[in-house]
Amino acid sequence: MPTQNLVETHNLTKQYGKVRCVSAVNMQVPPGAIYGFLGPNGAGKSTTLKMILGLARPTDGSITLFGTPVNEKNRMKLLTQTGSLIESPSYYGHLTGEENLRIIQTLKGCSEKDIDKVLKIVRLNEARGKLVNHYSLGMKQRLGLAAALLGFPKLLILDEPTNGLDPAGIQEMRELICSLPGAYGMTVLVSSHLLSEIDQMADHVGIIRKGELVYQDTLESLHAHAKEQIAIRVSHTAIALDLLRQDGIEAAPEEDYLLLPMMDDAYVANLCRQLVAQNISLYRIEKREKSLEDIFLSLTGKESSL
Amino acid sequence: MITLQTEFKKIKRKKIGLTMCALIGIQFAWLLWSGSRPDENERLRGWISMLYNLPLVSVIMMPTIMSVLASRLADVEHKGNTYKLLNTLRRPGVLYHAKVVCGTFFILAISIAQFVFVIALGYARGYAGHPEWKHYATAFLLNFACCMSLYLLQLLLSMLFFNQMIPLVAGLGGSMLGLILMYIKMYSFLPWGGFLSAAQVSMDWNPETKVIHFYYREYSPIELCAVFMIFVWIVVFYTAGRILFTRKEV
Repeated sequence: MPTQNLVETHNLTKQYGKVRCVSAVNMQVPPGAIYGFLGPNGAGKSTTLKMILGLARPTDGSITLFGTPVNEKNRMKLLTQTGSLIESPSYYGHLTGEENLRIIQTLKGCSEKDIDKVLKIVRLNEARGKLVNHYSLGMKQRLGLAAALLGFPKLLILDEPTNGLDPAGIQEMRELICSLPGAYGMTVLVSSHLLSEIDQMADHVGIIRKGELVYQDTLESLHAHAKEQIAIRVSHTAIALDLLRQDGIEAAPEEDYLLLPMMDDAYVANLCRQLVAQNISLYRIEKREKSLEDIFLSLTGKESSL
Repeated sequence: MITLQTEFKKIKRKKIGLTMCALIGIQFAWLLWSGSRPDENERLRGWISMLYNLPLVSVIMMPTIMSVLASRLADVEHKGNTYKLLNTLRRPGVLYHAKVVCGTFFILAISIAQFVFVIALGYARGYAGHPEWKHYATAFLLNFACCMSLYLLQLLLSMLFFNQMIPLVAGLGGSMLGLILMYIKMYSFLPWGGFLSAAQVSMDWNPETKVIHFYYREYSPIELCAVFMIFVWIVVFYTAGRILFTRKEV
């Protein structure tokens, strides 16, 4: 039996005036996953997440949460199983961390004991009685995460949760997010504009560019694209390509080069001998490495930030 | 009820009650100052003169007080950027309604304090007889309704604008407008003029004898429409606020 995706969007579109911010996005977040929603600034990540949470109305398309199509009537009910932290943390600065969580806990209708639990998880237990206005940005961000964790929802939606944090804070937040599916059975949908961050956290990835979802699969599949190759430049590309294919080598032309899968040195030497024997001159043999960054840039455009 | 309960939790340490006491205290000081040493004639017309003075004080003070109240209640959300979290926990319409009810508690408290003070002041000054309860009850209800219409207008502005200077300036502008309206005529279809429209007592002043004569107004049909307009504004501002707040994307 196929597993049901926790979040599915179908041709999800958002247009502000004439500007199309999100264009026909079909996102699929499987249960138990940490889904990294990756894209440069302004690509449409926050708008997509806001539409999933019902904070922005889609211009077109639909959203399915926990297998149920979301509509105005069932939205709040479905969101009771969801926790979120969008853009920056929401808080009442004149109240203490604990008082803030008590308000959210009352509205969520979850157990009061959850407050202690989430404060421990985000390591804010000692600062619980301190006014949030006196918290550092990192502490506020952790308080926002604590609020999202209240009630231990099935789905956690986090929009750039490491924004504004120092390196230690980023590391701490990352470890925390990574622990959530294992420890509490949560599914996490986390957005970021940093490839390295998603690479360290996620097991599934969706890449959005100018409002369009240009890639969606497991992170493993994305890594598979980031493989080493051998590039050769020869005098007669078409003949060389035929020869290689006859030998069962998956070669692909790219500009003046032929790209071959990685092979050992002896095999390369043998290949060179064969080509020369067929009067094909060999100009260049290069080892090429396509990194994750290269793939990301090729998907999102070179102007995008990493 | 739970949402309303959290509204009161949110305003802990915001000293909204204290702010309201300070502002209403200015009204009390004004009323204390006017007619502080009443003679025999003034004691005879004391209760009716109070019903004349009260709307005049309210028309000037209440728009500002209502703008401060609405701003204090809405600002806690703007400052903490909380709508995007709250809207995932409650429907925006429910959140808006809770803010309205929370503010209504303060307005009710202010209105009761106002009338208790006025009546206590009347007895302390030795006004003749007792207040005419029917007129005082009507004045209380209409005063409360006017405050509600202004509060709903201010809440609408305070919840829509992040910068609270805009609604506060609107409140101060309303007070200024009220002051101007006072010199034009005793009724107005504008929300800020509601206190004047609702005033039950009018006055004749004889410049030669310098004798003031207070009397209960006979409402003309247009003046009755102006009173009715107070309730129309309540419905209009509540509905507009709810629609705009519900439709607003965060």
